Amino acid sequence: MIAENIPAVRLTRVSKTYGSHLAVNNLSLTVPKGSIYGFIGPNGSGKTTTIRMILHILLADSGSIEVLGREGTRAANDRIGYLPEERGLYKKMKVMGLLEYYGSLKGMGRSEAKREAGQWLERLGLGDWSNKKIEALSKGMAQKIQFISTVIAKPELIILDEPFSGLDPVNLESLRESILQLREDGSTIIFSTHDMAMAERMCDSIFMIYKGNKVLDGNLNQIQAEHGQDAIRLRTEGGPSILEEIPGVDEIRDLGRFQEVKLSGDQNEFLKELANRTRVYHFEQTRPSLHDIFVRIANPKEESSENE
Amino acid sequence: MSKILAIAKAEYLIAVRSKAFIIGIILMPVLMGGGLAVQYFMRGHVDKTTRHCAIVDRSGFLYPILEEANQRREANVVFESDEQGNQKQVKPSFVLEKYYETDPSQTEIELSKQVRRGKLFAFLIIDQDILNPNNVATESGHSLAYHTKTPTFRELPDWLRSNVNQAVMNKRFESANLDRKLVQTLSKRVRFTSLGLVKVSEDGKVEKARKDSELVTFGVPFACMMLLFVMVMMTAPTLLNQVLEEKMQKISEVLISSVTPFQLLMGKLIGIVMTALTLSVLYLGGAYFGTVRFGVADIVAPSTYAWFFLFLVMALFIYGSIFSAIGAACSEIKDSQNLMTPAMIFIMIPFFAFGTIIQSPTSLFSVLVSLFPPATPMIMMLRIAMPPGPPAWQILLSVVLTGLFTIACVAAAGKVFRIGILSQGQAPSLGRLFKWIVSK
Repeated sequence: MIAENIPAVRLTRVSKTYGSHLAVNNLSLTVPKGSIYGFIGPNGSGKTTTIRMILHILLADSGSIEVLGREGTRAANDRIGYLPEERGLYKKMKVMGLLEYYGSLKGMGRSEAKREAGQWLERLGLGDWSNKKIEALSKGMAQKIQFISTVIAKPELIILDEPFSGLDPVNLESLRESILQLREDGSTIIFSTHDMAMAERMCDSIFMIYKGNKVLDGNLNQIQAEHGQDAIRLRTEGGPSILEEIPGVDEIRDLGRFQEVKLSGDQNEFLKELANRTRVYHFEQTRPSLHDIFVRIANPKEESSENE
Repeated sequence: MSKILAIAKAEYLIAVRSKAFIIGIILMPVLMGGGLAVQYFMRGHVDKTTRHCAIVDRSGFLYPILEEANQRREANVVFESDEQGNQKQVKPSFVLEKYYETDPSQTEIELSKQVRRGKLFAFLIIDQDILNPNNVATESGHSLAYHTKTPTFRELPDWLRSNVNQAVMNKRFESANLDRKLVQTLSKRVRFTSLGLVKVSEDGKVEKARKDSELVTFGVPFACMMLLFVMVMMTAPTLLNQVLEEKMQKISEVLISSVTPFQLLMGKLIGIVMTALTLSVLYLGGAYFGTVRFGVADIVAPSTYAWFFLFLVMALFIYGSIFSAIGAACSEIKDSQNLMTPAMIFIMIPFFAFGTIIQSPTSLFSVLVSLFPPATPMIMMLRIAMPPGPPAWQILLSVVLTGLFTIACVAAAGKVFRIGILSQGQAPSLGRLFKWIVSK
């Protein structure tokens, strides 16, 4: 029972510098077992560095990192599967041979790797391709092969760095389903992404890092409640110019056909005022999307200049 | 360990299935034995074009002698009879044509024209004063002048020179009233034989000294060194390209997520060692059976084979780790070429040094070079294969030093590998590489 309480990953005050550049600053983070944890953040914010430190590919300058209950667990640990952001495959190798090879690097026996690979290829619709060379595959297929090579050894912890980049909607969906299935089967999944909508749909928890600092961490509902008031999304005949005259409007975001308005006053009063002035086609109360929160934090200057 | 072996096995299978490996197996014996085979097969296909040569015989007595010698050559040298007694031409015929001068000042001009037109292959002008030993050169400046536009064909001028000389000498002996046969007998050269040492076996029997053969003194040591060199060159530099390619195609990112950089490096090194051992066993096995077949197995001592494999493994670990570290440190092929130069200089040391070492294998220079670890595998191999071989302490010292150096190389390459394999951008300078190596 105690084992249940051990988090999959626990970082305690971890810092990492490259020369004079502070890549990760005093980061503490706990990823519970069995969760899907989204790492988000703009490019160069420290996501990959954090992931590499969790994998022990990079060593932290200070702080402690515990993975699956042990410190100093290596990427080589066969209980972890890692799909790096930049990834390549041996072009001349055949699909099955390649998966067997990667399986053997994870400590699997040949026949076991072959069986698992066959099942995964079938599941992801690549059953007919096991004897083809990698160079004959499309980009999306190659990406699915990469994914299989990451999860073939049934790892307890799966770390996926940008797993969905460059995938078409069909492949994206089948990969998403596979990830959810892996969670069902008991794996803990950490994935980094730029795709906020995907993160919102899939993750139990979100961790956001910006310029090496943790700026968001926790349950998605909690984050949405904490960050940003609710906004009103509306479409009117009069357009944005009408909105400026109404009292109680703090902020207007023009999205083209729609506008988003933030209010300091009561929204019923606002709707009355609005209905007096113009015809209202659409009126909806929204919660701030992860994307909005992401942009606000990643781009605070723009945000503050808009407020002025 | 099982991961290292999995990598080694994959690398080995890729290597031995590659075209380069198969070509290597075939090419090496072709290069070594090819010269002989080509000569054997081409024997029947020699150039048999008849060469016409004009003789300007100003001496007045040489032409008939040459003509007679040519007839003897035609009968004995140009044609050979095979087992069935059939005559078969194996050399080109010469046709000598006596040229009668009308205007000596025009002779060379006229004959040159004929050579240019292709009517003649060459012409020979024999000086009238050729019999006078003190008269080296006359007005033309030459006692015996051979003109041709094809000076690379040596058979005709060589034949002319030796026959004219023979005839002139005979004539000189005759005019000095000396017996030609006696002079020939008296001026016979003394034979010189180069021998090894006489051994006395335990039962007191004296074993005769053996004749030194060039094969044993130069051939075997040189072949050992060359084979080591070829093995290293065929395998170690491929690691550079392989590591660099894996890095450029981001394959190393994936590999590093499953194995440690050191496991990856070791797997690759063991892979090339297995590849090179496979090739060497094929070549040396062939060489061994060759020597047994021709009854000369004793020209290569069995211990030489053992030393060869030991030094081969050490050389592969040294150069394999250096080349893979370079590959791991660079992000572009261009950068790797710059870093490769210093490594290549070390590999080439044996080629700068081996001439001196063969001349005096026990000199201070030879001893020092053979104890310098990057050069030890090839140079010590060369010295061991050369009779009588270096003293045992030198061999042992060299093995210890090179063993330590090998471990240092692999450890340093492991460091560079760990830092370099995920690094991007500009290649590090040598100084920076060194910092990587000494970093914790």
